[in-house]
Amino acid sequence: MDADLKGPAIRFRGVTKRFPGTRTQAVDNLDLDIERGSIVALIGPSGCGKTTSLRMINRLIEPTSGLIEVEGTDVSSQPPVELRRGIGYVIQQVGLFPHRTIAANIATVPRSVGWDKARIDQRVAELAEVVGIEPSMLSRYPDELSGGQQQRVGVARALAADPPVLLMDEPFGAVDPIVRSRLQDELLELQDRLHKTIVLVTHDLDEAIKVGDRIALLNVGGVLEQYATPDELLRAPANDFVERFVGEGRSMRRLGLATVADLPYEAGPVVEASADVAAGLAVIDELRTDWLGLVDDDTFLGWIPREELVPGADLASLERFLPAAQVEPTSTLRSALEIIMTSRTSVAVISDNGRFRGTVTLERIRAGLAGDFDAPTEHAA
Amino acid sequence: MMLAQRAIPRDTTLGEWFTDPQSWTGSAGILASLGDTVVLCLAVILTSSLLAVPTAAYLAHHRLAQVTSAWLVNIGRALPTFAVAALLVPVSLRGGYGFEPWPIFIALVLLTVPPMFLSTYVAVREVDPAAVDAARAMGFTERAVLRSVELPLASTVIFTGLRVAGVQVVATEPIRAFLGGDGLGRYIRDGIGQNNATLTIGGTILIAALAGITGLVFSATERLIKPYGVRRLRAHRKPRSGDADEEPDLGDTDEFASHHGAAVGRMR
Repeated sequence: MDADLKGPAIRFRGVTKRFPGTRTQAVDNLDLDIERGSIVALIGPSGCGKTTSLRMINRLIEPTSGLIEVEGTDVSSQPPVELRRGIGYVIQQVGLFPHRTIAANIATVPRSVGWDKARIDQRVAELAEVVGIEPSMLSRYPDELSGGQQQRVGVARALAADPPVLLMDEPFGAVDPIVRSRLQDELLELQDRLHKTIVLVTHDLDEAIKVGDRIALLNVGGVLEQYATPDELLRAPANDFVERFVGEGRSMRRLGLATVADLPYEAGPVVEASADVAAGLAVIDELRTDWLGLVDDDTFLGWIPREELVPGADLASLERFLPAAQVEPTSTLRSALEIIMTSRTSVAVISDNGRFRGTVTLERIRAGLAGDFDAPTEHAA
Repeated sequence: MMLAQRAIPRDTTLGEWFTDPQSWTGSAGILASLGDTVVLCLAVILTSSLLAVPTAAYLAHHRLAQVTSAWLVNIGRALPTFAVAALLVPVSLRGGYGFEPWPIFIALVLLTVPPMFLSTYVAVREVDPAAVDAARAMGFTERAVLRSVELPLASTVIFTGLRVAGVQVVATEPIRAFLGGDGLGRYIRDGIGQNNATLTIGGTILIAALAGITGLVFSATERLIKPYGVRRLRAHRKPRSGDADEEPDLGDTDEFASHHGAAVGRMR
């Protein structure tokens, strides 16, 4: 969709907003390009103008000066009503219409733009499935739904007329952490299918890191301090403010961002089952471990403790310890770390559907954090 | 017209008065007086709501005249209806409009506009700002925001304001009888004039009954014209939070756990 359009989906150029009767700017000379099909998280302390910036995109707030383009068109040249019907909008308080059924709520924009009933009904049913709302709920009213379900309906309503751009203002701020985490996962799954351009305001750094392809960190007075991928923001804060904002847990947060597959391949203290004891000892001496792993082609067979490795023994017939601590290539480094900490061997085996894909150790995770996770692979969502 | 009435003996009981067919018929009968009162009250309620509700809704939607409105409403409420009507009588006479019914009509409109205005203004202003924001962000015109979101959600409070004001009109209308008019107030006036408690109490009972019926008529009308989605809101006014209600959904905790750690197995 819109593949013919070049350039960013949303572009801010020198956008300043000063509210009447205030001395400082809410947004100060903001330049920001938001790539089509990406999720950009706007984050910053209160008073940083993140919500103001968001609301200027669909003209709920008019900038004092500067230019905002959506899909290449200056928003100030479009009537607000038309513009807004083409931009999805989700807010923390959801804002469902309490006097209308779930189906009618989802159908809001299609009805405004005059779709016929059959097309609306079909679209509502389709969206209910997309966001995970039971068809039986469609005839219910918003107050009969839980907070998490209401927010799903809010997302469905925003998606109803298939807008290319979605604005979300702290969409998961009002639900408890477990539901929030699930809704974030659902948003990412949705995005894998729909490829919308999403601008999401949040005050939760973990949320920004989890869902954002890029993060725009704003400071009080609407100053853009850094606009970067989550990993870059954590690895290379642009200045003291960014460093203080992302806080002391930077490395721990990056652990949650990168996956085991982001690390360069390393076999670790492992030999083929056909090797002899001397070769095995050489490997574990070199890597200074107490355990030797045995593999048969790409199957991991188990661990043998160093004291079993007496000269003349047959490696393949020694007693092996299984199951081993295992991670998948898609596991985050954080979960790999967790598994390593609780394993006896201090090594986790990477298993890709049963196939041996190397090992992970604390030292390798530490070395990985020194590098740049964005460089080898795209940040895995 | 104040004279030329059938005199009611002072020893007539209330029961006798109500059951005597002659009390009900004729130009000074209960039915004719009831008709006079009902017509005036309807005219007042209709005029007041048409003046107050659209104005208040419009101003509240645009958050205009917040201070001025409150101020005008308070002054309006402080006006003594009887005095206003009495002061208007000479004006009306000089203009050639007679004793009746303009002075009492205007006084009653002034009595009912403030509470109707206030309840509408507050009701519209207090509508969940998130719903209004969402409507606007989805491309509702300002008029559509007011008509499709604010007014339906405010309607319960608006109707309550109309009902209260309507009942107040019916209960106040009898002062008309002291200003050269008729209506149900005539029995109170005549009862006082003739020192006949039966008439005074009988008139009061009639007025109170009409006021009660008015309240019921308002409630019934409200039920009839409100769509189901709006009507059910009052009964289910408990806003739910996501926390407790999410519980049934938590059946899939395994899925949740798998996001946290892909531990397939651990060495013992």
